[in-house]
Amino acid sequence: MEQTLVADAKDAPREADLAFDRLYRSSRDDVYAYVAGLLRDEAAAEEVTAAAFERAYRKRNRFDPRRGEPRAWLFGIARNAALDELRRRGRQAELTTEPADLDSFGAHEGAEHSERRLAVSAALERLQPGERELIALKFFAGLNNAEIAQVLGTSESNAGTKLHRAMTKLREACDGTA
Amino acid sequence: MEPLRDDQLIADLQALRPTPHPEFAAELDKRAAAGFPRRSRLLRRGAPALFTAMRNKGPADLRRLLIPACAFAVVAIAITAVVVATNQTETRPSGASALGFLNGATTEEAAPEASEEAPQGAAAAQSAPSAGAEEASGTAFEAEAPVPGLPSKVAPKDAPLAPLRHRAVERSAEITLAATPEDVADDATKVFEAVHANNGIVMRSSTQEGRAGEAGAAFELLIPSAKLGDAMAAFSDIDHVRSRHEATADITAPTVSAAELLQESRARIDSLLAQLEGAETEEEREAIEAELRHERRHASRLAAQLTHLHRRADFSRVSLRIETGGADESSGGGAWGIDNALHDAGHVLTVAAAVTLVALAVLGPIALIALLAWLTHRAWLRRERRRALG
Repeated sequence: MEQTLVADAKDAPREADLAFDRLYRSSRDDVYAYVAGLLRDEAAAEEVTAAAFERAYRKRNRFDPRRGEPRAWLFGIARNAALDELRRRGRQAELTTEPADLDSFGAHEGAEHSERRLAVSAALERLQPGERELIALKFFAGLNNAEIAQVLGTSESNAGTKLHRAMTKLREACDGTA
Repeated sequence: MEPLRDDQLIADLQALRPTPHPEFAAELDKRAAAGFPRRSRLLRRGAPALFTAMRNKGPADLRRLLIPACAFAVVAIAITAVVVATNQTETRPSGASALGFLNGATTEEAAPEASEEAPQGAAAAQSAPSAGAEEASGTAFEAEAPVPGLPSKVAPKDAPLAPLRHRAVERSAEITLAATPEDVADDATKVFEAVHANNGIVMRSSTQEGRAGEAGAAFELLIPSAKLGDAMAAFSDIDHVRSRHEATADITAPTVSAAELLQESRARIDSLLAQLEGAETEEEREAIEAELRHERRHASRLAAQLTHLHRRADFSRVSLRIETGGADESSGGGAWGIDNALHDAGHVLTVAAAVTLVALAVLGPIALIALLAWLTHRAWLRRERRRALG
């Protein structure tokens, strides 16, 4: 009986593993969205997302809750992996995907709607990678300003200011496109 | 098209949010369930099976392998250092420090080579005592002349002096044996036998009979350096060894210096002889002859000096005593007791401290360099990542 209990305890997943599993399930699509938004390359985004989770899994025991939220920690790792990929390729968020067409933006919702999204997509391409990263963290990954600040290693107010500037620039680029 | 409103822009951005392909998501879920097995480039290229197994075990398991491996390496290094230190300190004079083994290697290694050409015959045995006596008086260099019969290493007069092939090392040893008063005479006989068996010379000996503490014997010996080890082993077998130590002194520098001076002196003699042949007047001839006599005396002294130096390297002085006193009367002998234990413990601790110090001296700078390299790499990586974002 005692042997069974010991075996059960040994085989039971540890708290760190369970916590990581929860983090993975809640963040998988967000991490991919952020990385794909930054890299603008579907294949590379898949590779980097997998690598980021792999790194995070290896470091899961080193995560210190006193230093921030698990999501911010995970996105910090994903960010480093994405930047390493950018660095490795020696380019900055080069667009390798096919140009978007109107159908992909919901033709059923109306031509004006589709045209507007196409303009937003084109405007995103024209942003600096740093600005595009902020927008990806906010609107693709769904992080709040505090989490963004933690990922970027800056203050919350600074992250908010930078995000506001990026949005202003995006709006101007959209208006220019329109 | 009218300007975008905030809510429209946000809605459009959220609609543009990339989503992973279901196949990719399924594959990632599968890998997550398997604990994210590593997929390094090496593995994709087909790394060796053992390496693959190690990589798949993950860092935690790898650490479990690395930590014992590192610990084993450290222990092995420590044991090796202690063994080396112990071996070296055994052959040093008692006053040598625990760290002495760090600078004694050269003379220890060179000793057997330097004495390879030690004289073996009886002629050497007959001529050597004078050397010992002169050395004792401290005037060996000035007073001694080349000894007939001794295979001298001084080159013939006309031959150029060959450079010294080996280091010249002078060795000496002391050994004290403990014996019962009845055994003193037998032990003394065995000492003589051992000396002769190793082509050595008994320079001085004295034997005292009596009761324990009074009876004993003392010997001053010259042993060919090449046979010092054998002779010491033979002495140790005679009776219980109460104490024993050996010492070395490197005399390469004075030997080389004497050889060079002798070569110069001979060249000077040759030059004077040539001048003598060309001398035309009587006064000139007399002056050259006087200078020649002086130079020949000088060359003779140098040759004697060189011979003496070679002999010091060829023969080792051994001081042997046979004592009959109680074990506690002598500092190092007798039964092993608490004092010996404390002494040994102190010695072990000293050696351990020395080894630790050496290890720290080696590992400290390496760790510092590694830390600096790591910090530099981190700073460089951070800068490169910032640059990647433009």
